[in-house]
Amino acid sequence: MVDRFRIALVGAGMISRQSHLPAALASDRVQLVAIVDPVVTRAKSLASDYGINPILTQDVRSVLDKIDGALIATPNDSHKDLALTCLESGVSVLIEKPLALSSSEGSAIAETARRRGRVAAVGYVTRFRESTVLLKRLLDQGYFGAVKRYVHQFGTVGGWAPLSAYNLSRRASGGGVLVVTGTHFLDRMLYFWGYPDNVALEDDSAGGLEANCVAVFRYDRQPGPIEGCAIYSKTTALPGGMVIETVQGAVMLADTESADIRFLPHGSAGVEHVIRPSELRRFPTGVSPWLLQIEDFVDSCRNGTKPMVDAEEGNQSLRLIEALYAHRRSQPSDWYPALGQRKGAKR
Amino acid sequence: MNARKIAVIGASGLVGSTLVERMLATGSHDVLPLIHSSGNAWRLARLGLELWPLNLLDYDQVKTKLVGCTHVVNCSRGTDEVMIKGLANMLKASRAAGVTGFIHLSSVAVYGDPPSPESVSEDAACPRHDKESYEGLKARQDEMVIQAARRGLPSAILCPPNISGPCSYFLLNVLQALGSRQFALLEDGSAPCVLVDVQNLCHAIELALDDASTEVQRLFVTDDENTTWRQVVDGLLPLLDSGFMVESTSQLVLSEARASVNSSSFSIVRSLKHLVSSTVREALRKDPLWAKVDRELRKSVTYLGSAMEEKLRLAIEGNLPVPRPPKGRTINANLCAQQLRGVRHSCAKAKKHLGYQPVVSFADSMEAFRRWYQATHHMNSAYWDLLKRLYQAQEG
Repeated sequence: MVDRFRIALVGAGMISRQSHLPAALASDRVQLVAIVDPVVTRAKSLASDYGINPILTQDVRSVLDKIDGALIATPNDSHKDLALTCLESGVSVLIEKPLALSSSEGSAIAETARRRGRVAAVGYVTRFRESTVLLKRLLDQGYFGAVKRYVHQFGTVGGWAPLSAYNLSRRASGGGVLVVTGTHFLDRMLYFWGYPDNVALEDDSAGGLEANCVAVFRYDRQPGPIEGCAIYSKTTALPGGMVIETVQGAVMLADTESADIRFLPHGSAGVEHVIRPSELRRFPTGVSPWLLQIEDFVDSCRNGTKPMVDAEEGNQSLRLIEALYAHRRSQPSDWYPALGQRKGAKR
Repeated sequence: MNARKIAVIGASGLVGSTLVERMLATGSHDVLPLIHSSGNAWRLARLGLELWPLNLLDYDQVKTKLVGCTHVVNCSRGTDEVMIKGLANMLKASRAAGVTGFIHLSSVAVYGDPPSPESVSEDAACPRHDKESYEGLKARQDEMVIQAARRGLPSAILCPPNISGPCSYFLLNVLQALGSRQFALLEDGSAPCVLVDVQNLCHAIELALDDASTEVQRLFVTDDENTTWRQVVDGLLPLLDSGFMVESTSQLVLSEARASVNSSSFSIVRSLKHLVSSTVREALRKDPLWAKVDRELRKSVTYLGSAMEEKLRLAIEGNLPVPRPPKGRTINANLCAQQLRGVRHSCAKAKKHLGYQPVVSFADSMEAFRRWYQATHHMNSAYWDLLKRLYQAQEG
C-alpha cells in the first residue's frame, strides 16, 4: 500500500471550509497533517467542525518537515511568500487561484519550483469540468467550424464573503471582479485559444475595486480574426455562461459543473445538439472537481507529470490581467443626466 | 474635517450605497459606511473607501463604532433578531455616543397590505400585525425608535413605498415577472403605484438629518406623482422584446391569488396525514428504530383486514393523481396583488416638516433605471445577439 500524501492546508477561511478540506478528507490518497492559519481559533473551529485532529499552527514553517505538499488557500497577497517558503524547503504547492498578485510574483514561484524540482500547481478548479476538456478537444478539431466570436459572462449580486474580507482590498486581492470572478474564464480562454493579440477593459472603478467590467479580446488568426468579450459583475445577476459563434452555428455552455455543451446549427431553427463525452470521458461522473484537483496535484508530485494547471499557465493569466488593467477605461455611470444638469445649473 | 460624522448602517444596500455616494460627492459630511458582510459591499468598494463590517447583535461593537458620530442613518435589514435586537443596540449605542439625529428607515408596509384608505396620511391607525411578519417587525421597530426619542434621542422615521431608480429590486422584480409572463395588469392598469426614486429618498434622509426630534413621527416619502401601474409597465417595455404584450387580469383573480398566498393556516389532520404518508415513512425507515416502529404499525393495520387497510391508505394518500397538461404560467401573486392596495400615500407632511421636494421625477427615474439596466446587461453592445441566447436559455 502506497503511503498517503501528507498535506498541510494553509488558510482556514471560507474556501478551505467549503471546498478544499472536504476534498482532502474525501481522498484516500491524502493525509491532512496540519491546518495553518494566523488566527488559531479559525483553524481550531474548522478542525472541530469536521471532527478531525490535525496539527494546528500559525506558521507553515513549523510543519514543513512533516508534509509532502501544501495547499495554499489564503488571501492573494500572501501566496508568493508562502509558496516560496514551501518550495525552498522541497515542499510542493497547490495554490488557490490566482497564482499571486502579479506576474513578477508568479514568475518567482514558477522559477523556484523549476529550480527546486517541485510542483507548483494552480487551483483553477473549473478545468476539472468534463465540458471544459471536451470543448477544448472539439475546438481543436474544428468540430463546430472556424470560431468567429465568443462571449462569456457571470454576474451575481454580491456573494462570496471571505472571513478576512480581503476581497475588498486591492492590496490583498490584486483587483476587483476581474480577478475574483473573471480569472476562472481567463484561464479557460487561454486554454482554448492561447494568449490574445489585443485586449481592452472597461470597468466601473471609481478609485477602488471594479465591481463590473467588460474585457474584450482579439486574436489575429487565419482564416479570420476571433473576437471575444467577457462580462463580470458583483452587483447584477447575469445568466452565467459562454456562447461561441462559429461559421456553422452557435455553441453554448452554461457556467455550471454539470452543464452539457449545446450546439445550435445555422439554418436549423428549433434544433439543438446536446454534446456529451462518450467513451473518452476523462473524469468520473459525480466526483467533486475539488477532489479531482487535489488528486491531480498528488499524481503530479508522485509521478512527475504536469498538473492540470501549472505555475507557467497560472502566470499567463496574471499577465493577461495586468494587460487588461493597463488598457482600462471607465464605464459610463451617469444614470441621471437630467439630475446632473439641474445640479450644474444650481452651481 | 466636517462638523458632522454620519454613520450609515446597512451601507451596502440600495439606499445605503446611494446615500454614501451622494454624501461623498458633496463632501459635506464625514461618512462612516458600516456593512454587514464584505460579500455585498462591492458597489461601495468601487469608491476606494474603507468599509467597516459591523455585527449589530454585538452591542460593544456597535458602541465602539458609533463613538464620535453625530448622526446615524439606519438602512439595515436582516433576520428578525437583527431587526429587533440590532436596532435596540443601535439606539442604545447612539444615546451613549450623544448622537443628535437618528434617522430610521421604516416602510409604508406598517400600514398593512392592503393599507386602509385613511393611510393616505401618516395619521391613520396602524393595523395589528403578526409580530413575526415584515410589517409587524417594521411596526415594532418604529415603536422602539419612538420610545428612544421620548427618552431623549432626537430621531426621524421615514416611510418609503417601493423604491425605484437604478438597481431597484422592485423594478427588477416587475421586469422579471413580465419577461417570464408572471405579471398581469389589473384591468386597464390605472391602479395607483406609489414609488419613490432612491435619489428622492436619500434627499429626504439628508433633510431629516436637520430635523430629528424627540417628538418623532412617521413621514411618508414618495415621488409625489399620480403614477399608475400601467405607467410603470410602459416604462419597462423598452427592455423587453419588441411587440411584447402585457396580459391583464381581474380584481377577483388577484384577490384569490393574494388569499392563496396568505392562507398559511395549519391543519392537524393534514399534518398527521403527511406524517404517515408513504414518502415520510420511507425516509424514516432508513433509521433502524423507525423501521421497526413502521413494521409494527403495518402489522397492526393488517389485523384490521384488507378493506380497512385500503380505506386507511386512501384516506392518507388520497386518490391517484391524473396527469394534466400545465395551465400556462401562474402569476406572481405577491407582486401582482400589490395592485389592489389602492392607496396613494401622501408626502405632504414630509414637505411641510422637512421642506422635502422630489429632485427626480417619475419619468427621469424610469429613464435612469433603463439606462442602468441596458448598460449593466450590455443590451447595446456588439455582443448582444450572443448574450441574448444566455437570457433565452435561462427563461427557457
